Amino acid sequence: MKVLVTGGSGLVGKAIEYVVNSEGTKDGEEWFFATSKDADLTDAKSTNDLFEKHKPTHVIHLAAKVGGLFGNLKSNLEYFQKNMAINQNVLESAHQHDVQNVVSCLSTCIFPDKTSYPINETMVHNGPPHTSNYGYSYAKRMVDVLNKGYNGDHGRNYTSVIPTNVFGPDDNFNIEVGHVLPGLIHKVYNAKHNGSSFTVWGSGKPRRQFIYSRDLARLMIWVLRNYTETDPIILSVAEEDEISIKEAAEAVVSAMDFKNPLLFDTNKSDGQYKKTADNSKLRTYLPDFKFTPFHVAIKETCDWFVANYSVARK
Amino acid sequence: MEGSKKRILVTGGSGLVGTGIRAAVEMDPRDDEEYFYLSSKDADLTDRQATLEAFKKIAPTHVIHLAAKVGGLYGNMRGNLHFFRINMAINDNVLSIAQELGVKKVVSCLSTCIFPDKTTYPIDETMIHNGAPHTSNYGYSYAKRMIDVLNTGFNQHYKTQFTAVVPTNVFGPADNFNLEEGHVLPGLVHKVYTCKKNNTPLMVWGTGKARRQFIYSKDLGRLFIWVLRSYEETQPIILSVGEEDEISIKEAAELVAKGFDFEGGFEYDLTRSDGQYKKTASNAKLRRYLPDFKFTPIGQAIRETCEWFTANHETART
Repeated sequence: MKVLVTGGSGLVGKAIEYVVNSEGTKDGEEWFFATSKDADLTDAKSTNDLFEKHKPTHVIHLAAKVGGLFGNLKSNLEYFQKNMAINQNVLESAHQHDVQNVVSCLSTCIFPDKTSYPINETMVHNGPPHTSNYGYSYAKRMVDVLNKGYNGDHGRNYTSVIPTNVFGPDDNFNIEVGHVLPGLIHKVYNAKHNGSSFTVWGSGKPRRQFIYSRDLARLMIWVLRNYTETDPIILSVAEEDEISIKEAAEAVVSAMDFKNPLLFDTNKSDGQYKKTADNSKLRTYLPDFKFTPFHVAIKETCDWFVANYSVARK
Repeated sequence: MEGSKKRILVTGGSGLVGTGIRAAVEMDPRDDEEYFYLSSKDADLTDRQATLEAFKKIAPTHVIHLAAKVGGLYGNMRGNLHFFRINMAINDNVLSIAQELGVKKVVSCLSTCIFPDKTTYPIDETMIHNGAPHTSNYGYSYAKRMIDVLNTGFNQHYKTQFTAVVPTNVFGPADNFNLEEGHVLPGLVHKVYTCKKNNTPLMVWGTGKARRQFIYSKDLGRLFIWVLRSYEETQPIILSVGEEDEISIKEAAELVAKGFDFEGGFEYDLTRSDGQYKKTASNAKLRRYLPDFKFTPIGQAIRETCEWFTANHETART
């Protein structure tokens, strides 16, 4: 098996690389982690050249134009167009090169905004997504449409996973365009160095299920090797492990031993109040999978950021 | 661009709806409007460079975007991925190039067949994204839905006025009358023409019970030009006869038979799929804007279509 990982230097890609290197690969498995230096995936020819060069038998497709709430709010059109181009190019090149399996990466943020909870895999297309990131959301939903299309027209078994909020080392810690957890870590780091208070954007009330990137990586490798459905699978901690942004901020404060005040800027948007996802499909397949405890995962991530501050993406 | 004359580029200009628009423009021409009808001979719209060149040559101020890879029920069922990819490419090229060239208004064409399969009736403009479309043509449907997403995106980012219309089943002269690839009404027209010539009974595919609202291409053409001139919302607008004018495929077949003065019998091939049972759309939004618009009576519209086919069957798309 020769596995091409697109988006190989990102949050999830680096975690997969870590797991592959530390926990070993199966016999004869080769892994190549592609980055934007290897190809411009918005360009069909560049994508095709990448597949020509490496001739993968399997693909984990992580590359995407990604942003947190505020990044998306500013440019929904761009997020839609770039991600549609990337996804169509990768899937078509995979098909042309007879790739056996492509596992793409969706997100719980793409689900319908008006919905009942918990959300599950059958509900992806049941209504418009949240207005803040509809461009990104629709482009990701179309990955599921493409997977069904490649299956229906050509008999391919391409599929996708749906993680909840991912965090970990090698994230994008930029406060403007990154996601909430890396944003909180970077802010506490700054506040500590400036001797100032730490301000959380929004009310702190929205709720999220967070999944450690290294746990997600273990699960994605399992999906690549064993999951044969075309329909997506949610990869997440359970509903009861959902926490508020305030609780997440407090966990970061504790991990970084921060002593100054924690404040909330309620002028900033909260985004969706909740996106609670149901992980029972995962539990049907893997009843015994153990997630890294949240405070352990946060500590590892904070320690990584402090040790790698100069090279971290921010 | 000199003066305030509108240069209106119509993609898919030689098709069913393009022909209807041409007829409507001839009936109601304006001094400040010039129309340019593009067809596949002029450019392959899945090719970005070709599309850019064709658009630059015309230098439009407005676009009516009709071009699409289109098929009836059976065409779609066989190639959903293909219908998705081709239509996504066409729509992305047309909208982004229009914006690049400074076009302020693009009116694209959706369809009631793209609405959610599991739904309440009548369907209205707010419901487009409320669930998965019918499995028979999900590729085409999602590609069309993404036009609405692109319209919202372009308008937010560039302050353009991109919008879309949602017709129900269109029919009329210059349609695709091919039995395998075309839609139900032109299929019936083609079949009755042949059955009359050969003195055989008419074979209707399916049970005849499925129900549709049909809109004559000449009426759609008149409404399309009104949208181009006067409709300013981003949200699409359904262009259709009222709910009460929905008819069964059997009734449609009977009207086509009358259109040809065909007296032979009907048979029903139950091995063929009916497609969706109904797609009843509300035209309340249209009626709020145009309470007095008069649709051509369907018997007359079908008769005109049958007469066109008789006169043009050598050159018609079959």
